[in-house]
Amino acid sequence: MNTLIDPQDRATLVAASGRLDFEASAAFQKELEAAIAAAAARKAAVIVDCAGIDYVSSAGLRVFLVAARAAKGASVAFAVHSLTTAVKEVFDVSGFGRIIDVLPDHASAMTKVGAGA
Amino acid sequence: MSVARTEVPAQVAELATLQGFLGAWWAASGLPEGAIFAFELALEELFINAVTHGAATRFSLSLELAGEASVRMTLTDDSPPFDPLSLATPDLDSPLEERNIGGLGLHLIRTMMDEVVYCREENLNRLMVAKTLVPSTEQ
Repeated sequence: MNTLIDPQDRATLVAASGRLDFEASAAFQKELEAAIAAAAARKAAVIVDCAGIDYVSSAGLRVFLVAARAAKGASVAFAVHSLTTAVKEVFDVSGFGRIIDVLPDHASAMTKVGAGA
Repeated sequence: MSVARTEVPAQVAELATLQGFLGAWWAASGLPEGAIFAFELALEELFINAVTHGAATRFSLSLELAGEASVRMTLTDDSPPFDPLSLATPDLDSPLEERNIGGLGLHLIRTMMDEVVYCREENLNRLMVAKTLVPSTEQ
């Protein structure tokens, strides 16, 4: 897994790529939690670009769940976007679209978290 | 290459070994790349379950091509008898605060595979998953 974190004015952009499996999940969770804490301090949102994640298991899903909870607890708007086919299937089968804001692209995610143009 | 089998110590670090074995067999069998996901997922979920929840010391993976595009994967571990299919389907409608990951891996496997069969055999838990790959409509 590779993660790029870009704290912009109104939203921190997280771009993740690689395999979000059991072994990668702990490190990714730490990075997301740190990004959410930093965003909370400056009242920004957090948006995760999933275009590069080509694999996710339940261990990876757990990271999104924990992150979404942390964001909600810290009053940070949180959204994910650009899911690959495999990741979208896992989100759909798990009903994660009902608990996490899943958007088709960057622009719609920015609008959703109130950081749009 | 239609049948292949490997066995590893039941340790988390061996997940990469197993995924590599599956990937190499998949490619050598000429199966569509985009269709491997369900098998990679089932392999990870069941291996990690056996390693972290069970008391397994050995874990085996066997792959078989049945017909042109039907794949059968059998996984065994030597932990005490446990039928993962006995787990209830997780509640997929509960709110964010009450969501739990437990049981979700099995739910994914059951949804994405055509067939999932558990049996206890000679002190081993044996789980077989099978799926017929649909050509040109990779999901």
